[in-house]
Amino acid sequence: MKKSSAFIMVVPGLVILAVCLFLPLLRVILPTIPAGEYPLSSYVEFFTDEYYLKIFLRTVKVAVITTAVCMAAGVPTAYFISRCGKKWRGILLAVSIFPMMTNSVIRSFAWINILGSNGIINQFLIAIGLIEKPIQLLYTDFAIIIGSVYLFLPLMIVTVAGVMENIGDDMMEAAQSLGANRLLAFMKVIFPMSLPGIIVGGILVFTGTLTAYTTPQLLGGNRNMVMATFIYQRAMSVGDWQGAAVIAMIMIVVTLVVIKGFNALASRLDRRGGNHA
Amino acid sequence: MAFMTLNNIDVFYDKKKQVLKGLNLEVEEGELVSLLGPSGCGKTTTLRVVAGFIEPQNGTFTLDGTDLTKVPVHKRNFGLVFQSYALFPHLSVYDNVAFGLKIRKMDKAEIDRKVKNILEICDLTEFASRFPHQMSGGQRQRVALARALVIEPKLLLLDEPLSNLDAKLRINMRVEIKRLQKKLGITTLFVTHDQEECFSISDKVAVMNQGIIEQYDTPEHIYRHPKTQFVARFIGFENFLHFRKEGNLYCTDKGAVFAVDTDSEEGALMGTIRPDDIEIAREGQKDNVLVGTVGVRTFLGKSYQYEVNTEAGKFLVNTNSQYKEGEKISLYLPPEKLILVKE
Amino acid sequence: MRKNKLLTLFAVLVFAFLIIPLVIITVTAFGGESAITFPIKSFSLKWFVNVFTMKSFRTSFLTSLEIALLATVIAMIVGIPAAYALARSGMRGKGILKSVFLSPTIVPGIVIGFVLYQFLVLTLRIPVFAGLLAGHFMVTLPYIIRVVGSSLDQFDFSIEEAAWSLGCSKGSAFFKVVLPNITSGISAAFMLAFINSFNNIPVSMFLSGPGVSTFPATLMNYIEYNYDPTVSAVSVILMAATVLIMVVVDKTLGIAALAK
Repeated sequence: MKKSSAFIMVVPGLVILAVCLFLPLLRVILPTIPAGEYPLSSYVEFFTDEYYLKIFLRTVKVAVITTAVCMAAGVPTAYFISRCGKKWRGILLAVSIFPMMTNSVIRSFAWINILGSNGIINQFLIAIGLIEKPIQLLYTDFAIIIGSVYLFLPLMIVTVAGVMENIGDDMMEAAQSLGANRLLAFMKVIFPMSLPGIIVGGILVFTGTLTAYTTPQLLGGNRNMVMATFIYQRAMSVGDWQGAAVIAMIMIVVTLVVIKGFNALASRLDRRGGNHA
Repeated sequence: MAFMTLNNIDVFYDKKKQVLKGLNLEVEEGELVSLLGPSGCGKTTTLRVVAGFIEPQNGTFTLDGTDLTKVPVHKRNFGLVFQSYALFPHLSVYDNVAFGLKIRKMDKAEIDRKVKNILEICDLTEFASRFPHQMSGGQRQRVALARALVIEPKLLLLDEPLSNLDAKLRINMRVEIKRLQKKLGITTLFVTHDQEECFSISDKVAVMNQGIIEQYDTPEHIYRHPKTQFVARFIGFENFLHFRKEGNLYCTDKGAVFAVDTDSEEGALMGTIRPDDIEIAREGQKDNVLVGTVGVRTFLGKSYQYEVNTEAGKFLVNTNSQYKEGEKISLYLPPEKLILVKE
Repeated sequence: MRKNKLLTLFAVLVFAFLIIPLVIITVTAFGGESAITFPIKSFSLKWFVNVFTMKSFRTSFLTSLEIALLATVIAMIVGIPAAYALARSGMRGKGILKSVFLSPTIVPGIVIGFVLYQFLVLTLRIPVFAGLLAGHFMVTLPYIIRVVGSSLDQFDFSIEEAAWSLGCSKGSAFFKVVLPNITSGISAAFMLAFINSFNNIPVSMFLSGPGVSTFPATLMNYIEYNYDPTVSAVSVILMAATVLIMVVVDKTLGIAALAK
């Protein structure tokens, strides 16, 4: 293909991206790094403010725990799906995809029903006489985490199952013929081979949780803010646009660092040396 | 001037790697010419220059006296058959074949007549309404051929068209291609790495190596008289000897003396001979003889092949006689079979 | 292969975790009480009726449809040629260009909404609707680039060359031969982009204004101030639509098309 025609095909997209993403980003974020003696002072302020730091650390904590739980629950489930017969594999994949296609408001709403003070868990515990007054489950970090796991577990399952499906049964059989039991064969063969997929899943879950807005807003409330809800509160309720821009920048940087970090990990772990991410 | 000529073609990839180096080729009208060589020799690049996918940095391509170097692919009117066949998956066999005619805005009845005619010739009439994925490799191959031929191209270009077929089908198809090509009298370029296939089908063969044509001749002549070591190796000469010329005779470093009957070019000082052509020396024979010890034996079916370690290096010898490993034998290299090539 | 009982049990629990909350919503939608109770004590369809009487739901639903559709179509018009150029040409810096096209995925949605609101709406005085459209374009574009790109990666380009050799110009070969053979990739990209745009909240949070509010944002707003089964009823309707879409996709493209 001629270079000029390839150029014409990519230019419209690049122009829109420049005008509707890069330029606005620069316009909003550059003022947070003023020229002069202390260009990073706003950021230093952010990380030395106890309240701000708490929100930042809560966000990271929620993302780390959510990612860990999604991996622990998702990888074996994905393996289970990949070893099912064709019919069941399709059904289970559909059941995993269905929540992904369902609005996150609805999925968080489900947990309001379950965790709320009049929710199912409290109703149940009161009914069996274990507690007298409803316990606080909603509007806690725990609620955010369980809501986030609920949100992102399907993504983990579907991503990893996609990779595991391509690992032939013969791999497992070869390992077993060489004397490995099934757990060992899984740990030594299937798991390492699906690591690229697990890491991609990890990136998606981690960055997704880190930047999620709906779930923390609905399940965390105003007292348990995370970065995404904080940015909205700063800008819209307090009118601190500069502060919101600082948070925006921090979110982008953390996202980038996480992606780079996971990818570096992937290429170190992936001994076949190919680029699978 | 020849019907088709490639004149001093240079092709570079990424401005650094030169794939074709001043390549020249002349093809007469109605000929089937093969480009033969190992992968990476530039044969497919040559075909793609002719087809118009690659514009050479230097050189010209002319056909029937017209310079086509800068004419885009879709205006060249050449028929192409790809290694993967490249049939349009979303079109039936009939529509695949009719595609080129529809582009030419031919009238419907005319298209129908031509398509049916070519399907008949290619023995595809009964498959007209099938889709490519419903057909076998050999059938797809014939559709690809029919699609290329129906536009009555000025040149037919075939890029390893048989390499995806199994051995038996491959032989049938190459006879088929040859038959169609002669019947339609269409000038054809055929790219292959398979020397047997290439010799059986071609009027002329261009053996390529590292971006140039090493030898361009009839299959018979190339088979009997390779000019360079590369060509000799590529077409099955396995045994090589370095010579010094002394008068009319040729000597190895170790002093063995050989007579050579075949003609050779100036400066060709490497002797070569096929494993089949080496004989076991009779007692007392002195000239054209090499002594060696028998090494590994492999069974080829019609004969055995022995690896024989001689003073001039390892030789491969095909013979029906039985020898044990370690046995000493004398090899006779008949002067009429011993060829001189350039290194 | 023999099934491992422990693994099976584990998978059953995981799927129960995924499904039960949605089942609970579905059940509560049919409850007769004015607050959400589970299990329900009486059966009623009044919440479904309520959904259709609420004007804010109706207008925001239409806004979301409009935005998702427009954003997806624009992303396809811009993205398909770009994906083709990225797959086909020997352009230098192709890898970098591809990451530029996918870069909206690394900018958090709430940040996209925030900067677009500040720059396009507050600074350039562009209408909120256009800003919202720009934001949702950023949501949809990566899906088009990625999914169409991966189906182009699997496309045998000698098919396109064959069309050229048969007399097709490059432009017409693209429409006659390339496009018809990547339709499944394009449909999958369309579905994914549309659904994700329709469901997206973070991008839309800032980009709302008088008369411009997306459906999920309206729903979220409603939840924060009301606790009745209306939202359950909405959820059931949306889930039914999702099931319908998935069945159609499964019949045409295969369910795995949505797993990208």
